[in-house]
Amino acid sequence: MNDLFSNPAVQGGVAPFVAGLIAAILLGRFRLGGLAVAAAFATAVYFIAGFGFTPLTATRKIILLGFAAPVAGIVVDFAFRPTRIGSALLAVAAAAAAAWVFWPVLSQKEFAGAVLPGATALLAAAWVVGFSEQRLAGDSVRTAASGLALGLGTGVAAIFGAALTYGLYGVAVAAGSGAFLLVQMITGKRSYAGATFTLSVTVVVILIAAAAMILAELPWYSVVVLALVPVAANLRVPAGAPLWLQAVLSSLYGIVVAGIACALAWHAGG
Amino acid sequence: MHSKLTPGLIAAALPLAATAAPESFTVDPYHSIPYFEVVHLNTSIIRGHFEKMTGKMTLDTAAKTGSIELSIPTATVSSGDPDKGSRPRSRDEHLRTPDFFNVAEFPTMTYKGKATKFNGDHPATIEGELTLLGVTKPVTLTVERWNCGPDPRTQGKRYFCGGNATASFKRSDFGMKFIVGAVSDEVKLWTSLEAFRD
Repeated sequence: MNDLFSNPAVQGGVAPFVAGLIAAILLGRFRLGGLAVAAAFATAVYFIAGFGFTPLTATRKIILLGFAAPVAGIVVDFAFRPTRIGSALLAVAAAAAAAWVFWPVLSQKEFAGAVLPGATALLAAAWVVGFSEQRLAGDSVRTAASGLALGLGTGVAAIFGAALTYGLYGVAVAAGSGAFLLVQMITGKRSYAGATFTLSVTVVVILIAAAAMILAELPWYSVVVLALVPVAANLRVPAGAPLWLQAVLSSLYGIVVAGIACALAWHAGG
Repeated sequence: MHSKLTPGLIAAALPLAATAAPESFTVDPYHSIPYFEVVHLNTSIIRGHFEKMTGKMTLDTAAKTGSIELSIPTATVSSGDPDKGSRPRSRDEHLRTPDFFNVAEFPTMTYKGKATKFNGDHPATIEGELTLLGVTKPVTLTVERWNCGPDPRTQGKRYFCGGNATASFKRSDFGMKFIVGAVSDEVKLWTSLEAFRD
């Protein structure tokens, strides 16, 4: 049994998917099915790193933010109406979170070497969180498809960038998103996603991508391309098409862009 | 009579006092190279090393005391696999990421210890603390082949000491938990250490 749970495929894929599926099924009726991603991510963290937070490294800060994001999402969903200003504020908060995570690392570098990765991390965090909240949070299929592609793309790109642990976290988010999407595809009914789902995905995934860039070998332009995945998942799909087909098409749009990011990461090595 | 003898006694005792005083040394980075080894997939032993180590040392052979402070730049880690070949990244690149040494966030690994056991004039055991990935844990070094003397490369103008030291620890104790099992948790250390008297 220990061998089974020490297998990276189980830690980052199978176990998070099962946890996400259970959460999506049990909590969907309470408009909290979006917690599937949080359940999947927490499962991966439990198996891969554990819940220790000392010393508070960049990775552990991301994990903390990964747990805080769904809580913030629930507050946003149940206490506020979605507005453009609200999305902008969440984007700024995401950039601030990125600064909190990476400043201690970037401040050790020379200014010239810190500007590009620092600016990429902050802008990508603000863009992905803000855009996803504004344009995707209201569409549970597209936002789940975006989460699936973004998690998968970040996971594979991080692995190509020599950061396997980040890769597993990315894949875990994809597994949770996939579980949330699968429930909708099977039942043919849309779930409620909202900020609970969207923030859970975007905060974790874009910070993991940025961490793979700053702390490992993922090139900055891969992160930029990954930040475009939510845009691709937002492309038009036939409105009259069955829900499962909409899910497949939106996922494919996102995966194509994510695949470009992965290809760039593969070829970036010297 | 007594007052005339005292300065003479003090003068006679001075060289002894100088010998007994703790001497400070600076680590020679070109001949002080820390190696580590882990078991890969429960089969072979994979070795790596850091290309640089600096530090200071004190030694008082009369009082049987000594101390050492070592600093290792983690970015110099090498396992003999610097080229990625057909893979996306090489093993050495992987060793520098947060999966292992996380060199961007923790550019330095340090060891601070005190010699607690001597074998004659030679330090035999150093008890100290290793700080790796921001975590500080006790690690004991066992010293072997220790010797001191005039440096033949300078026709004896420079005095130096040197030897080897070994230790072992669990990497998971320092938060390095990536694929523990496939790559052994236990890490064995072996380092050469030479230092010139200041």
